[in-house]
Amino acid sequence: MKSIFILQLQRFRRKPLLVVSFFVLTLFFVFFLGGNDTGDKITIQSYAGDNTTQEQADYWIQLLNASESFEFVLVEEEEARNSIVQGDRNMALEIRDDDYRMLVAVDEQSYQIAANYIQQVFTEELRLAAAEAAVEEENIRAAIAEERISPVLALNMETINGESSGFVYDENLQALFGMTLFFSIYTIIFSLSNVAEEKRDGTWNRLIVSPLQKWQVYAGHVAYCFLVGYLQIILIFIFFKYMLGFQIEAHFGILMIIVACFTFTIVSVGMLLIGLVTSPQQLQAVIPITATAMAMLGGAFWPVEIVTNEVIVMLSKVMPMYYGMEALKGAALLNQSLGEITGALSILVLMGVITMGIGINLMERRA
Amino acid sequence: MLETEELSKAFKGKTVVEGVSLYLEKGESVGLLGPNGAGKSTTISMISSLMKPTSGEVLLHGENVIKNPGKIRKVLGVVPQDIALYQELTAYENLKFFGRIYGLKGQMLTEKIKEVFSLVGLTDRQGDILNTFSGGMKRRVNIAAALLHDPEILIMDEPTVGIDPQSRSYILDMIRELNLQKGITVLYTSHYMEEVERLCDRVYIMDHGKIISSGTKEELKSILSGEETILMELDRAYPEMEKEFQQLDSIRQVIETEKGLKLISVKGSRLLSSLFQIADRHEAQVTNVNIQEPSLEDVFLHLTGRKLRD
Ligand SMILES: Nc1ncnc2c1ncn2[C@@H]1O[C@H](COP(=O)(O)OP(=O)(O)O)[C@@H](O)[C@H]1O
Ligand SMILES: [Mg+2]
Repeated sequence: MKSIFILQLQRFRRKPLLVVSFFVLTLFFVFFLGGNDTGDKITIQSYAGDNTTQEQADYWIQLLNASESFEFVLVEEEEARNSIVQGDRNMALEIRDDDYRMLVAVDEQSYQIAANYIQQVFTEELRLAAAEAAVEEENIRAAIAEERISPVLALNMETINGESSGFVYDENLQALFGMTLFFSIYTIIFSLSNVAEEKRDGTWNRLIVSPLQKWQVYAGHVAYCFLVGYLQIILIFIFFKYMLGFQIEAHFGILMIIVACFTFTIVSVGMLLIGLVTSPQQLQAVIPITATAMAMLGGAFWPVEIVTNEVIVMLSKVMPMYYGMEALKGAALLNQSLGEITGALSILVLMGVITMGIGINLMERRA
Repeated sequence: MLETEELSKAFKGKTVVEGVSLYLEKGESVGLLGPNGAGKSTTISMISSLMKPTSGEVLLHGENVIKNPGKIRKVLGVVPQDIALYQELTAYENLKFFGRIYGLKGQMLTEKIKEVFSLVGLTDRQGDILNTFSGGMKRRVNIAAALLHDPEILIMDEPTVGIDPQSRSYILDMIRELNLQKGITVLYTSHYMEEVERLCDRVYIMDHGKIISSGTKEELKSILSGEETILMELDRAYPEMEKEFQQLDSIRQVIETEKGLKLISVKGSRLLSSLFQIADRHEAQVTNVNIQEPSLEDVFLHLTGRKLRD
């Protein structure tokens, strides 16, 4: 098994282009499709008003910058005014210690949104401060934050099988998970086409008449494809989480477990495909169809929650992609624990075992 | 040491190998001769445990190895009909891999690879990617990959198909040397009569899935003991003269060849003078005449009425 595995690595070293290109494509598509929130933020120049200290202004700026859409930077009043006069900026914010004022050139939409947002931040903070002063209790903020995480009223959606799950949607993570899993299907099954090639070129027969056991041959290939697919997904997650600061809240260990289950299932689906086709060419024709169908139905391109057609919803339930996406989103968006996603993971592994079994059976029957 | 008993194989009801019984003694070089589609590869696949026979047995030292092929796999070196190698890897990497799957490693593996490369004469090309090799060189690596584990029995399925005469000659000499010097038992499959004749002590002739004749080369040729072959080279074709030859009593068959005619005649019939007289009458230019013992090709022709290669 080890020699088969090492052999695939050697072959990969000589022909890395295909796998590398799927990797690059994933990066490209996630960039392209994810809400590019860092680039799109509107910068609002702010300055400290009269009687307001630098620290107070800094404090407000830090609160305001929790926004996804605006970035507040502290500048000199002079500079902020000049920017508006020269038409570089549409608005500026004057921060006072418990109040604010906005300078506006044109009353347009971005101003409306900004004004709403700023007002909300100020009102909330001032209320909190007032409450703190009245109750004289230090951890009232922590208590309120706690309340927010488990609110009295939350939007829940019933899914077909009766579990309730909050429908949370994050454009970035949807794109990241969807595209990564989608392209990993290509990488994994194209790597697995080594098996089909060996059968075509006759090297497979050489392996069979050698003292190697047949399961070792299969295991070597499966292990290699698993590793390639797994590394691709994990590297991309690491890249977006740690280099680009995507908000993947889940524990990375949980993500790694989910990815392992998903990768295993896709390798198995690949084995099934190899059992069905008769040549590497056929396999290459089938891969894009399979990958795209699984991705579309399984919710890699858009969340299954927005699909209303019942047939498609039913179909999505037999796609490994669906469970992969559910588990990833559950972990990353809803902060579900490993226990809560065990259901999805078990289905993945079960699908994997079944398809692998059928695939190997088909191959053996033909031999 | 190795024998088959009544091996048969049917694909979807169509029998392609039927009742093949053959044996190999230690140190022998045995040929399996037959035209394309005769069932040679299928027979070899069953012997080498690649394929299960529909019926029949494969015995190694008297032990049935079909159910339990582990033993035969260790002692067999199989050279497949196609070049079954990894084209994007170097020759060295290929051999290293095939050595490893036979359980070789470390110093032992390195030494075997070195030895085998020198045997097939590719020591200075071993670091090159296989794709850059000529057909003949690939064939040699294809054979080399089956030699690493010092097989007791080497089974070769048309190992010289599609290569230039020098490479072929090199390979044949090499196999003969393996057989004579190292005592490796060889089962050599081919549809080239000359190869089998040059390489093998004993021959099985196969056609339409059956062994139609077998024995030492001499035994097989003695089937034709009453005949001899006259090769007559001519400057061009003379159809009229051919017809006249055919009418001669002691001539059994007249075959057109590239250079002239091949006449199968009753042995010792002293035909030459009458042949020359006829040639004279047709003003034919005879450039060479050669009297030959029958070849295996002639035996095949005699047995089936067809040539080995059409
Ligand atoms: N896997 C197979 N399925 C169906 N027919 C086959 C298969 N393999 C070989 N045959 C048929 O069996 C016959 C013998 O083939 P083969 O053993 O390759 O002959 P040879 O090696 O002597 O040229 C041919 O007619 C071939 O078409
Ligand atoms: Mg053949």
